[in-house]
Amino acid sequence: MSKTSISIITLAGVAAATLIAFGQPAFAASERTVKIAGWGAKSGPLRSFGVNSEAVLTAAVKSINDAGGVKLGDGTMVPMEFTYYDSACNADQAISVARKVESQTDALIGIGPTCSGAAAAMYGIFQKTVDDASDTGLQFPILTDTAIRPGLAKKSQWTFRNVPNEITMYDELFSWLRTQYPDAKTIYGGTETDQAHSKLTFAIVIVPLAKKHGFEWVGGGIEGVTGKVRDGYENVLEVSKSSNWLMADTNFSVQARAFKKSGADMMIVSSHPFTTCGMLKEMKRQRINPKVLVGLTSSSSAETLKGCADAAEGMYIPTGFAPITDAAAAVASAAQANGGFADLHSAAAWENAHIIKQVVESMGVMAKPDTLQADRRKVRDGLEALVSVNGLMGEIGRVQDEGESVKPFVFVQAEGGSWEVVHDPR
Amino acid sequence: MGDFDFVYITQTVGDGLLFGSTYALIGIGFTLIFGAMGKLNMTYAAASLGGAYVGLAAFTFVNAPALVVFLVSALASGIVGFIAYLTCFRFIPIHNHLAALMASIGGLFFIDEIVIHTTDGSPLTFPAMFEDVMFELGPLGIRGDLLFVFAVCIAATAGLLFVLYRSRLGLATRAVSQQDVAARLCGIDVHRTNAVTFVLAGLLGGIAGAMTAAAVGVLSPLITIPLTVKGLIVTVIGGLGSIPGAIVAGLMVGALENVFLYFRGVNERDMYVLLLLFVFLVFRPHGIFGSAISRD
Repeated sequence: MSKTSISIITLAGVAAATLIAFGQPAFAASERTVKIAGWGAKSGPLRSFGVNSEAVLTAAVKSINDAGGVKLGDGTMVPMEFTYYDSACNADQAISVARKVESQTDALIGIGPTCSGAAAAMYGIFQKTVDDASDTGLQFPILTDTAIRPGLAKKSQWTFRNVPNEITMYDELFSWLRTQYPDAKTIYGGTETDQAHSKLTFAIVIVPLAKKHGFEWVGGGIEGVTGKVRDGYENVLEVSKSSNWLMADTNFSVQARAFKKSGADMMIVSSHPFTTCGMLKEMKRQRINPKVLVGLTSSSSAETLKGCADAAEGMYIPTGFAPITDAAAAVASAAQANGGFADLHSAAAWENAHIIKQVVESMGVMAKPDTLQADRRKVRDGLEALVSVNGLMGEIGRVQDEGESVKPFVFVQAEGGSWEVVHDPR
Repeated sequence: MGDFDFVYITQTVGDGLLFGSTYALIGIGFTLIFGAMGKLNMTYAAASLGGAYVGLAAFTFVNAPALVVFLVSALASGIVGFIAYLTCFRFIPIHNHLAALMASIGGLFFIDEIVIHTTDGSPLTFPAMFEDVMFELGPLGIRGDLLFVFAVCIAATAGLLFVLYRSRLGLATRAVSQQDVAARLCGIDVHRTNAVTFVLAGLLGGIAGAMTAAAVGVLSPLITIPLTVKGLIVTVIGGLGSIPGAIVAGLMVGALENVFLYFRGVNERDMYVLLLLFVFLVFRPHGIFGSAISRD
């Protein structure tokens, strides 16, 4: 090849590179989009939560864009797009991602970070009260899915959640079980104590509300529990010391024998799928057959059925998602097509994307580089102002001062390898 | 807290002893490699569970019977063990213990993440052997599957001791562990001997991983780290390099865990187990059966 030819090719290459380098940003700057940042467990043993949320979010954003996108304040229709980051259900990583997204991206809002423990820590770095100049916390709106531990969102006025309210759900569940099993008098149970959601929901919500509806803990010892949420929860953890376990435990013999010894009519297994399965299998081996078996909301998932459908047979769980409406069924299919499952945790990601679209359109967001901070503030204010939104299972109420939601729910029971809706209080 | 019900406590100890067999199997693997190379192979429990996942794949995709699942698990874990040797030990200078340790810790997390990304971290049902067999001895019950694990543990130990003390491979392994330079001068291929030891330990680990998964009935990447920690505790308490020590320590840790759980609750259980480790490290650092290791 001659020197002239090489020079021409080199010049052409340089010209092309210049065009790409300088042409692309100009094009990108002119293209406006509504950007969302999602983050959750994409690695580590809780990866399935992140995979499910991302699958549902992918489906939601596609549905919004297929319907024409999002209308900005000046009437322009733009697409919604999202980036999903891995925070591994780890508090440090969740905080790092939150800081990065807030400072280095033009995302309008975040959806994450999967686990309650990570959410509780991450919410702490946000500005507690809006317009408090003395508070240098992040000013970036968050609309969390999945993390369900009661009462987290009120930590900051920038943090919002769209998760079921366990207090309402278990209150209704025990009320209903009272009518279904009038002969059941006593309860006993255990929880994984190294998981704040499992432990606190068990001690603060489940046992007190069971007592409220007339179920008595076998052997007493929980005098401080009055039937009101939170009252005497230390006593609950104390009396259940030998029947509790940790999230990575592999031996449940002592705990199951404590269950058996109790002879309770109703037994509660308040844990996530892995140990729920371990415990239920051990209960089956020890031939423990309570009249009523109640599980934690987080176990009403495909993971539990994959791990121990037989042993879980008959277990009741309240849940904020079941494919019983056309919309919910469509989301369940779409999530599966994207390699995940829609469940009470992940389905909220669909609702969140649609809530964000609604807020962006109602608040006149401009989605321009120079309006980023103002747009984030508009999104926050829009979320704060919401009274109710349409969800997959019906209308979702918003608790405005607390950033929380009141979602419709149903009671499901494990039957023949699937979760069947046995009661629909909507 | 549990009360002093003799039958109940006996049952608790019995359950713990039997479940301790799974710890013992993991401990044997750690100790075998330490005995041969004087190094800790931190990938061991992860490789064992990785093997169990391959066995589970055989069950899921070709509906293999439980016995085949266990054999496939052992084979797969043996292969992973060999790969772990190649990647974490083979090319690292033999006296650089820290580099090998760090490489194997990296290997642990790498194997764990492969499993997590393959399964999305979901718990998966693992086929059990003798799951419904329960021997009733008056008020006491003994799980058939755990009794089987216990028997496998004893058989594996007998097999290993036979290999170590009655075969040329065992002779070579012991020679390498005592004096690798002298072993080399005698014509023993040190790397080959170490590789075979890793494969042997891996085969045992696959059985251990499958047994653990079968005993729980569910397989999850959640148990990798706890099993690694338990294996290390058992190895240290039993005596680094002592196979009988690993068995005794495994059973002891299993039983004591249950007793601590029964009397003090789950939140204090592991604290007492770690306290036990501390006591051994301070007052009997060579463990129950181990002897002080002297290497040139």
